Amino acid sequence: MTDAQHIAQDDLALYALQTLSRDESAAMREHLSECAVCRAELARLRGDLAMVALSVDQHPLPSGARERFAQRIGLSPRATKLAEPVPIYRESRFGRVAGWVGWVAAAACLIVAAGLGFEVRSLRARLLDKNSRIASLEASESRAKQVDELLTAPTAQRVFLTAPKTPPTPSGRVVYLAPRGALMLQANNLAPAPAGKAYELWVIPADGSAPIPAGLFRPDAEGNGSLVLPPIPPGIKAKAFGVTLEDSAGSKTPTAPILMAGSVPQNGG
Amino acid sequence: MPVQPNNPMPPDPRNQDEEAPSSGRYGSEVGSDKSLMERVRVREQQAMAEIFDRYAGLVYSVALRVLKDSSHAEDVTQEIFFQLWRNPDSFSSSRGALATWLLVVARNRAIDHLRQRRPGVPVDEVVAESATNMQSEAERSIMMERVRGIIDDLPQEQQRSLQMAFFDGLSHSEIAEKTGQPLGTVKTRIRSALTSLRKRLEQ
Repeated sequence: MTDAQHIAQDDLALYALQTLSRDESAAMREHLSECAVCRAELARLRGDLAMVALSVDQHPLPSGARERFAQRIGLSPRATKLAEPVPIYRESRFGRVAGWVGWVAAAACLIVAAGLGFEVRSLRARLLDKNSRIASLEASESRAKQVDELLTAPTAQRVFLTAPKTPPTPSGRVVYLAPRGALMLQANNLAPAPAGKAYELWVIPADGSAPIPAGLFRPDAEGNGSLVLPPIPPGIKAKAFGVTLEDSAGSKTPTAPILMAGSVPQNGG
Repeated sequence: MPVQPNNPMPPDPRNQDEEAPSSGRYGSEVGSDKSLMERVRVREQQAMAEIFDRYAGLVYSVALRVLKDSSHAEDVTQEIFFQLWRNPDSFSSSRGALATWLLVVARNRAIDHLRQRRPGVPVDEVVAESATNMQSEAERSIMMERVRGIIDDLPQEQQRSLQMAFFDGLSHSEIAEKTGQPLGTVKTRIRSALTSLRKRLEQ
């Protein structure tokens, strides 16, 4: 399994997959604790396995999974739960227990009253919570209004700050209307595309299917480039957009690295 | 698709004065994994929730592929992220990128769950090295597509051996028994599949 110095590649892959027996694993673990070369190769193999894991079809989390996790880490305590209604079981044995009916009825009334009292307290607590949330929302709305006024004021001054002597960062802005397949891209501060190369925009579909090429462009001397209504099939819901550098004839699949990327906000806006 | 001419629509001069768009501005992916983990280490719950939002889908999908049961897959997912919250030092950047590390841990924990056994390798011993950056949704999607393409291109017998070992958690002897192939052949196929994947990704 191990040669004079190192673990054979085949066996190290099985160790990374955790498919060896306990005894085999123990022997390898001992070697790994002393061999930096094998540890480094094991780390690379695990990196390869992570890529295999990445190949699985993506599925959304079950409903409520996020909330369950948030609650588990104490992010948002679950709202006070209303008391379950108290079940009252009435047995029809009037003839034999007629003398106890009054007491049973009284006890039942007490239980119902206790249940209702608890429910009233719970409802009051919820009402207070709601009022507090409304106040918070009103405050947020007021702040949002101020922000909106600031951003839309014609006299507002707009200044873009950067670290001194830092080359400007490439940036882009996409406007996309999925039902019509209509898209516009404005990109700035791009490096010139090398000869035979062009920038290509990709639509990353929300359904996890392959990225769709959305147009090639070359920036001008100032580093600005645009795409206006490139041909894109209508009806593709996007979750993100990315720009890569490709051969000037275009590519069917994007080539790493991704030079610019942006996700569509979850509300789709 | 033809290359659009240089700047067919001059940019609005106002854009020059605006903030450079970041993935954060366009979506919800604001912090880097590193900065989020630093915030988790000082017990910032919101940062942990952001990590969950970013990677829980990936982890769940891997667990679901192995376990084929949504309830068990969610259990594994919740446990992995809760362990990370309870013990953030189980991960450090010296163990690789967070996404890579989570993918390996997700697969291993799902296989442990499948076999109903105690964890084989503690999470704080898992080191997974990869040059792949998967912090943004776009990067993950593009990388997924690329990896799927490479795996589809592998010889069928390599694909099958790799999938039986990786997703079904079968040992090489179990795979040899199922496929009727010699043990050595199975081992070589698994290693060759991983080697091909690495080489293609490095191109």
